[in-house]
Amino acid sequence: MFGALYAAEGTDQTVLESVAREFSPRIEVCGPREITLDLSGLARLFGDARTIAHELRRTAADRGLRVRVAIAGTRTAARLFVQHRAGITVVEPGTEADALSALPLSLLSQPPTTNHQPPTTTLRQWGLRTLGEFAALPADEVAARLGPAGVEWQRMARGEDRRPLVAAVPEERFEQTLELEWPIDGLEPLSFVLGRLMEPLSAHLERRDRGAAVLHVRLHLVTRAVHERSLELPAPMRDARTLRTLALLDLESHPPDAAIDRITVAVDPTPGRVVQFSLLTRPLPPPEQLSTLAARLAALMGEGRCGSPELVDSWRPGVFAMKPFAPRDSNALHASTPRRHEDTERKNLDSLRASMSPWPVPVNGAASPTVVLRRFRIPIPARVREEDGRPVRVWIDRRGFSGGRVATAAGPWRTSGAWWEEGAVAPKPRSGEGGWDRDEWDVSLAGGATYRLFRERRAEAHSAKADTWFVEGVVD
Amino acid sequence: MANNALARIESALRERKLDRTLTSALAPLERSDAAAFIPFGVEAIDGVLRGGLPRGQVSEIAGSPSSGRTTLLLQLLSAATRGGEITALVDTCDRLDVASAAAAAIDLDRLLWIRGESRLVLSERSESKDRVVDRAIKALTLVLQAGGFAVVAIDLADVHPRVLKSLPFTTWLRLQRIVEGSDTACLLVTPEPLARSAGGLTVMCTGRTKWSAAQTQSGATQQTRHTHRVTGLETEIRVVSPRRRVDGAVRFTAVANDY
Repeated sequence: MFGALYAAEGTDQTVLESVAREFSPRIEVCGPREITLDLSGLARLFGDARTIAHELRRTAADRGLRVRVAIAGTRTAARLFVQHRAGITVVEPGTEADALSALPLSLLSQPPTTNHQPPTTTLRQWGLRTLGEFAALPADEVAARLGPAGVEWQRMARGEDRRPLVAAVPEERFEQTLELEWPIDGLEPLSFVLGRLMEPLSAHLERRDRGAAVLHVRLHLVTRAVHERSLELPAPMRDARTLRTLALLDLESHPPDAAIDRITVAVDPTPGRVVQFSLLTRPLPPPEQLSTLAARLAALMGEGRCGSPELVDSWRPGVFAMKPFAPRDSNALHASTPRRHEDTERKNLDSLRASMSPWPVPVNGAASPTVVLRRFRIPIPARVREEDGRPVRVWIDRRGFSGGRVATAAGPWRTSGAWWEEGAVAPKPRSGEGGWDRDEWDVSLAGGATYRLFRERRAEAHSAKADTWFVEGVVD
Repeated sequence: MANNALARIESALRERKLDRTLTSALAPLERSDAAAFIPFGVEAIDGVLRGGLPRGQVSEIAGSPSSGRTTLLLQLLSAATRGGEITALVDTCDRLDVASAAAAAIDLDRLLWIRGESRLVLSERSESKDRVVDRAIKALTLVLQAGGFAVVAIDLADVHPRVLKSLPFTTWLRLQRIVEGSDTACLLVTPEPLARSAGGLTVMCTGRTKWSAAQTQSGATQQTRHTHRVTGLETEIRVVSPRRRVDGAVRFTAVANDY
């Protein structure tokens, strides 16, 4: 048994929903003013269908709503009646087709149940006026003239349901709040409070098979300010200890200014993670573990100092980017799908690698070792004596670096770039900013070490006193 | 009664991992199967090291600048990541050249790079260096404790030996204790042998840059000049661990041809 509620114009839909939910947990919102609800089993609580309808109307009136109520054996019949008649309509189950037969054809276009408009004009041209007349036509003839959609409309005219009721799930808030009797100051007491909040939140997520995509921590301070932090998690997770640790590590880096007197923890839910492990390869650590590690390392070393290196498509010497460390599991279920794209990406990466490497690269992934440069992120100034345009002696005024006579030198290799950018007139080789215009040399000193030197040509042009020679790295 | 007491004592010893120190009847802790080592992916090196770097031990690569120690490190990281495992590098002085790492065929997505202080060489104050090294070792400890990594390496090659020697020796014992029994190989890259772990490898590197010479004629006078270029880095590695017998030293060449 199904019921339909149709409210007057200007009705608040949330109030209408709350009225319907008082009678049944299975409701479907069919429009801004219309709701259908499953009334099965209510007879034992209220009595017959008419009593239920009166109760519905009375409850709505208590909330200040004027509603039409129709109860029938099918959802479609209830919806058609509630559109057509004011007040209360009750149709006995099994008699829907007879009860609907006198209703006008125009009702078919009222409930927006399908994407297609009913062929009411055609039906009128056939001389049909009521739903009963349309329902009485032979189904095969209707299908021959109007197609499968015509049969669907005919079934609707008989009050038959095309699909079962799809119950609307109320929006759940994954949020926990705690008002503190006494304000707390410091992270240690906060740790206990966060633990107490995270446990029920984690249990709630577990019940709904959800994981947290974003973790929000709102701290209401005694100064009436709100200290809010949001953590985007690399993978859906719901382990209470992990979430608490991540929140605490973030608050260690960004502590609140004053004592806290109310704490709210909320998460943006996302479907839970399903992992299939392999018998053949070693499993990767779970994302919860990697996230905690990344947060601890970031707190120790500083933001942006930990992650995976990434090549950048640029000719600037030593340029790179950092991204969060999130290794992909080679046994992921969807790993086989984008295989072709991965091959293409790998080829592109190989060519990019070959173009950016300080040394030539075997792009076929061969196992033969390649020469490696240890790069000084901030180039070290050096003094170089030149003869015939070639370096013959190097002095490096830094402890731990040996200068000396140049035994062998190769170069110069001239590169320049970014001279077209704004503010690139004065190069800053020490910070790696601005444009560059340099001659690079590889030099082996008498002591055995091989360095990569470069002479900044534009610095030389701008100032005679500027450091023009730098050590960029050591071949190792 | 006596049997129960004996069983209790043995159980207590096993919990504290002391059982093998008191008897030689138990199987040795050192594993000899292929899964107990992380290969370098170079036949000559793996042959002489009898499989590669041992898991669950602290090993070292020591050498002077241009000796090939970084080449060896990146080669190991490359082999591990290509095998589908994840690795971590604590880069104390921020010396990793990303292009070189990519050229060594490291799967960069599987490398956790922890960057230390780039300005270390600019700051001559010893307390600053001590702080940087302490922080790097704390980061190394965190990664080792997290587990799941095949190789966790720390690059201390540009830290002065005096600073390294001032670290308490228990530091390395503590690291050994953390990795013991795990599938992680902890690797130190240092200027001199430092930890001298009994179960791990201590590899000394000595290297020589290989150059090629060619004659070119340039200018209007067609003057003949000798031009050079780096063609590779020849490295000799020698294991100096007291308990690991190896079959002599081995040489390998890192290539930089077509440069």
